[in-house]
Amino acid sequence: MRKVIAVIRREFMVRVHTRAFVISTVLGPVLMGFLFVFPMLMESRDRAPKRLVVLDAASGEFGARVTEALAGARRGVGADAPVRFVVSRLAAGAGNLASLDSLIGLTGVKEARDTEIVGVVLVTDSVLDTGRLHYFGSNVGSLSEMGDLQRILRQAVIGERLGRAGVDPQVLLVATAPISLETARVSNGVVSGESGESSFILAYVMSFLLYMALLLYGIQVMGSVVEEKSNRIMEVLVSSLTPFELMLGKIIGVGSVALLQLGIWSGTAKLLTSQRVAIAGLLGAPPSEAMGMPIPAISGTLLAVYLTFFVLGFFLYSAAYAAVAATVSTQQEAQQAAMPVSLCIVAGLLLMFGLLDEPNGTLARTMSLIPLFAPFVTPVRYSLSPLPLGELLASAGMTALGVLAVAWVAARIYRVGILMYGKRASVAEVFRWIRTG
Amino acid sequence: MTDIVVAVDHITKRFAGHTAVNALSLQVPAGAVFGLLGPNGAGKSTTIRMIMHILEPDEGKVTLFGGPRTGRELSARIGFLPEERGLYPRMEVLEHLIFLGEAKGLRRRDARARALRWLDRLGIADWGRRKVQELSKGMQQKAQFIGTLLHDPDLVLLDEPFSGLDPVNLQVMKEVVVEIARSGRTVLFSTHIMEQAEQMCERIAIIARGEKVVDGRLVDIKAEGGVRHVFLSFAHDAAKAVPVLADRSLVGRADDSGATAEVELAVGANPDRLLRALMDAGVGLSRFEVAEPSLQSIFLAKVGQQAATAPALERAHA
Repeated sequence: MRKVIAVIRREFMVRVHTRAFVISTVLGPVLMGFLFVFPMLMESRDRAPKRLVVLDAASGEFGARVTEALAGARRGVGADAPVRFVVSRLAAGAGNLASLDSLIGLTGVKEARDTEIVGVVLVTDSVLDTGRLHYFGSNVGSLSEMGDLQRILRQAVIGERLGRAGVDPQVLLVATAPISLETARVSNGVVSGESGESSFILAYVMSFLLYMALLLYGIQVMGSVVEEKSNRIMEVLVSSLTPFELMLGKIIGVGSVALLQLGIWSGTAKLLTSQRVAIAGLLGAPPSEAMGMPIPAISGTLLAVYLTFFVLGFFLYSAAYAAVAATVSTQQEAQQAAMPVSLCIVAGLLLMFGLLDEPNGTLARTMSLIPLFAPFVTPVRYSLSPLPLGELLASAGMTALGVLAVAWVAARIYRVGILMYGKRASVAEVFRWIRTG
Repeated sequence: MTDIVVAVDHITKRFAGHTAVNALSLQVPAGAVFGLLGPNGAGKSTTIRMIMHILEPDEGKVTLFGGPRTGRELSARIGFLPEERGLYPRMEVLEHLIFLGEAKGLRRRDARARALRWLDRLGIADWGRRKVQELSKGMQQKAQFIGTLLHDPDLVLLDEPFSGLDPVNLQVMKEVVVEIARSGRTVLFSTHIMEQAEQMCERIAIIARGEKVVDGRLVDIKAEGGVRHVFLSFAHDAAKAVPVLADRSLVGRADDSGATAEVELAVGANPDRLLRALMDAGVGLSRFEVAEPSLQSIFLAKVGQQAATAPALERAHA
């Protein structure tokens, strides 16, 4: 055990003492801070209301109703929240679309600052029957803006339809009052207080961190093995340590560096978010905006689940990378040979995205039991919806078995491979090492 | 002191297409400095790797300290300096040595104290805090040497330990090797430079093309050749010695190095006749010594010029 600790210490110290580690550790939070502050800055710049024109080619009050709905839309909640749009209505008369082309000619023309309009909403009577409302705008690429626009317009159209059907305007007002869906997460019969959105962000961030740690640090395990082979220090090492001690120490040592770095990053993120109101104040943004950003709260159990799967996943993939490294002699060969392992990691991340909509579906359940993907899938499922304890344990158990299997195979490949110089081992050779090792 | 520390029993190792070591047997007694000699590609490194159990012999077996455990299992008692020796280039020298000591099972503090002592002794104490890659090749070799000896091994296996060393460093390391042997521990080292073996070894084995040519105590091997060799150093007119050394009635074999020569007397010839012939030819001599043959000449006689250049294939796997 003392020998393994020596290897762990060496791998850890060598990495932590590099300039690259210091730079990436410092740069991580800086980048994070930038990502955090940048939207605030952008938001305050975009806060100026956008100019819309409603081309009213409908009969009656329809056009006015749409105009009113748009003009009443606010960014954020409350009476002091800034308005979204400056809306002007061009009453063309029923069915008259003659001025549409000239309006489009003014849309998105940046030079004409004062007269620039972002978009034109075309209101005709046929909208009420067909349900098709046309919008010509320079901002149709923004999914969130289009979503908001659709929500506002839909409300106006519903109002108009009901109005024409003779519903009392007072009733109408009450019936079409906006609602908002306030979500709260329940697990094991207890409200945990997290909103759905923040769970989603949390899941997303966690999987992404795992993905990054595996790719960045798993590949460091590989590089470290290849370095020892190409430096010819391997013979000195294997005359003192067993290959298994060497591999274990390497994985734990590099993994500790990954955890340290992620720990520093998470700590900084927590600090930044807890001070977000103060930061927003410094940037001149109202606190309401900073508070509007969903901040995930991590419960102790979720953290434990995540760390468990993080460690399992790291062992699994690092052992695989170490085995790959043992079969090659140069970094270039290693990168090629590592492709299947890296693809599994990418697949794990992609699968996780696929499961967000249905965290308890058959696919999600199956993936939780496949050791290669469970480290990505299971913590995310756990964060999205309550997971039965049995299922959680089954997933962890399967992954642990997978780790043992991969470690066993990797140790056999490693034992023979680390002393092979010069040429890259063929697949047939590697299988022979596993069988006879 | 008759314990056999390393017993190699008919080991054979084949690599794709050729035999690197063929039915080789060796016995290394405790407390000896044992030289494994041979030309490049003779199978020296392969033999040492099999002793250390980094390679497994295809046939035969290696017994260490009289027990069943292999070199890697006994690694705490063995110091191994491989021919392919590297260090982590970006580690500090002292840290590196501590790591190598810990890898042998030493406690960290102990490893540190020993490393400091050794660095001081080999005159590179100032370099402990520098990175390995800043060291000269000779200093790196010293550091590797320290790493091999840090845990006071009972058996030291050194594969070409002196290659590439300058005379000063060579002297320091030779002294260390001699001291290890004097303290009752065993040293086995390989070399293709005969003078080193001759100066240091009590026992030698010469191998060529994977097979043993001769082994035993150095004095016995030399005595076997009899007192039939004459060592010459020329003061002037060395060229005039050429026809004399070519006279087959006087000289059986001559190793003419220009300024010096080693001559094996022809059968029936005696030293007096050779001396007279040289004086008559007008050769100026500063040394004329009748003695046992040098290891170099024994080596050349046993191995032959032809085996001294092994085929490229064998060298690739040496």
